Amino acid sequence: MAARRYDSRTTIFSPEGRLYQVEYAVEAISNAGAAIGVLATDGVVLASEKKIASKLLDTGAVGVKREKMYKLDDHIACAVAGITADANILINHCRVSAQRYTYTYQEPMPVELLVRGLCDTKQAYTQFGGQRPFGVAILYAGWDEQYGYQLYQSDPSGNYSGWKATAIGANHQAATNILKQDYNEGLNMEEAVNLVIKVLGKSMDTTLSPEKVELCSLSRSEDTGKITYKVYEEQELKPLLDAANQEKEAGTSS
Amino acid sequence: MDFLMGMCCKDFVVVCADTNAQMSQILTIKHDEDKIVPIDSHKVMALAGQPGDRSQFSEFIIANVRLYALRNSRRLSTHAVANFTRNELATSLRKKPYNANMLIAGYDESCGPSLYWMDYLATLHKTNVAGMGYGSYFALSLFDRYAKVDMEEKEAVALMARGVQEVISRITVAPSDYVIKVVDKNGTRTVETISPGHVAK
Amino acid sequence: MKLAKPLHGTTTLAFIFKKGIIVAADSRATMGSYISSQTVHKILEINNRLLATIAGAACDCQYWGRYLGMQCRLYELDNGKRITVRAASKILSDVCFQYKGMGLSMGMMLAGWDEETGPALYYMDTDAQRSSGKVFSCGSGSLYAYSVLDDGYKWDLEVDEALELARRSIYQATYRDAASGGTVSAYLITPDGWKKMLGSDVGDLHYEYNPTQADLPLE
Repeated sequence: MAARRYDSRTTIFSPEGRLYQVEYAVEAISNAGAAIGVLATDGVVLASEKKIASKLLDTGAVGVKREKMYKLDDHIACAVAGITADANILINHCRVSAQRYTYTYQEPMPVELLVRGLCDTKQAYTQFGGQRPFGVAILYAGWDEQYGYQLYQSDPSGNYSGWKATAIGANHQAATNILKQDYNEGLNMEEAVNLVIKVLGKSMDTTLSPEKVELCSLSRSEDTGKITYKVYEEQELKPLLDAANQEKEAGTSS
Repeated sequence: MDFLMGMCCKDFVVVCADTNAQMSQILTIKHDEDKIVPIDSHKVMALAGQPGDRSQFSEFIIANVRLYALRNSRRLSTHAVANFTRNELATSLRKKPYNANMLIAGYDESCGPSLYWMDYLATLHKTNVAGMGYGSYFALSLFDRYAKVDMEEKEAVALMARGVQEVISRITVAPSDYVIKVVDKNGTRTVETISPGHVAK
Repeated sequence: MKLAKPLHGTTTLAFIFKKGIIVAADSRATMGSYISSQTVHKILEINNRLLATIAGAACDCQYWGRYLGMQCRLYELDNGKRITVRAASKILSDVCFQYKGMGLSMGMMLAGWDEETGPALYYMDTDAQRSSGKVFSCGSGSLYAYSVLDDGYKWDLEVDEALELARRSIYQATYRDAASGGTVSAYLITPDGWKKMLGSDVGDLHYEYNPTQADLPLE
C-alpha cells in the first residue's frame, strides 16, 4: 500500500527509492508477446510471438501481418514487445534519427548511437512530469563498421545493454534460461534461426504457426558489403516451425 | 593571396599551405601562421579565406568533432567530418556565410588516406589532388604531370616543394612562407617549412 | 578592392624581446583632416599586467576596451587568477566576429605577461582576425613604423635600445603619416607588470633627431 502514494507520478521516488510507474511499465511488457534475439557469426536473428486476440482478426492485413518487426535503417532492424501504439512513436523516432545522421555525415549511423539516442528519449519520460513512460521494450539487430553484428535490448526506463542472445516480453525469464543453456559461441545464422524458434516454441503456450510468429534476420554479404534484412514469409517459415513443433512434442512425450 | 595544396597517395596525404598572415592586401603581419589545423590525431583542415571566418569556423568544426568523439567513444571518419563540415557551411551560407575555403585530409583505419576539397559555397569534392588560390593553378598541372598514386612520401613532399617553388617564381603576389605536412597511419606531422625570402631574426 | 583598411590616423606598435615587451603609440586624434586632439591615450591600461593599444574608431575602442577590462576583472573574480593574454584576446576577437560587417572599426594589440607562460602579444581587428606574434604594428602609420622597426629589431636588445627603437619607429611614422603625431608614449612590460617609460613630443623629437640642417632627411 506504500506504493499507492507514490505510484501515480512517474517522476517521484518512493521512500524506498523506486519509481513505481516505470516498474509498472516494465511489468506491462512481461505480459506482451515475447521477442527473442540471437547474435550469430554471420548475422543477427529476431523472432517474436504475436497474440491473436480473435479468430476474426485478419492476419494478412497491414499492421497485423507485420506487427512487431521493423526495419529502422538499411543496417538496423528491431523487434518490439509492449504497447504497439507506443512502439510506433519510438520507431518513427529511430528512423528519423538514423536518416538525420546519414544526412549529416553521409554514412550509416552506428548501431549503439541509435539505441542510445532512443533511450535518451525513453529516460526523459521517467524524469519529466505529466506523461507516462513508453510501455515498450525493444530488441535491436544491427551491423556497423566498428563493431560488426550487434544485438541490443532496451526497456521503458531507458536502460539498454548488448547481448549475444536475449529475450523480452512474456516468459522472458524462462526464455533467457533456455538461451543460456543452448547458446553456443560461434553459432551461425542457420543455427541461430533454429535456436530462436525452439526457444520461442518453449516459451509460448500454444504451438508455433506462421500467423503467430514473426521471424527476421539481418546479414551482410562479405563480397558486396550489402546488408540484407530478411523477413521470413509463410512458405519458408512453416517448415521451420513444423520441425520445431515436432521436436517439442518428441521432447515432452519422451 | 592564400595558397593551399593537397595530394593524396596510397598510404598518406601531403598538405601544404602558406603561413603568411596579412592585415591587408599590402601588409604581412606574420610569417608563421599555421593554417593547417589539427582536427584530431589523424585529420587536418587547411583553410584559406578571411582570417576571422577561417579561425571561427575551424574552431567550431573541431569542437563538434571532439564532442562527437567524447560522447560516442568513437571517432568520426574523414568522410563523415567532411560531410558534417559541408553541411554546417551550407546551412550558414544563406544566413551568415563564412568566407572560408578548405582542404580536409585524414587517415582512417578502414579506408586509408583521403583528401576533400571544399569552397566557401560548400561545394565538396573527394579528390586525390586539390588546391586553393591562384597558386594552385601552377601546382596542379605540375602534379597532374608528375604525381603517381604509389609515390614514396619523400617523392611526394619533394613534388609539393617544387610546386611551391613554381608558385613563388610565377605569382606576382606570392606568399613568402609555406609549411608542408603529412598525414598517414602514424598521425600528422610537419615535414618541411619553406621560407626563402624572409630573414628571421 | 580596398588596399588598406580605413584605420583612422594612428600609429601603434608592440614587440617582444629578451627583457620584456615594449608597447608604444602616438597620441593624435583626427576627425577627417581636423586634428581633434594631440593628447589621446592610445595605450589602455586594462589591469596592472595587461595593456591594449587601440587604432580605428575611438568610440568602438573606448567602449570595447572598457568591456574587455570588465571581462578580465570578472574572470579574476571567477577563477581567482589573472586572465591570460590569449584568453583576453579571444574575448575581444569573438565580439568582433559577432559584430562582423556591422561597422565596428578597431585594430588592437594586447600585450601582457602571463603567469605560466611569460610574455604574450596578440593582434586582433574587427575582421575578427587574431594572431599571436613577436612584432606587430597597427594603424595608418604602421607601414612606416614597420620598416624602421624591422630594421632595428633583434631579440637581445637592451631595454634602452628597445625603447629607442620604439620611439624612433613611432617618430618616423608621425613624420610621414599626417594622421599620426603628438607625443610618443612607450611602456615596458616585465614579469612585475607594466611601467610607463617615456612620453616624448614628436616636435621636440624632430629637432633631437635632426639637430642641424644637414641631418634632415632628403626632401
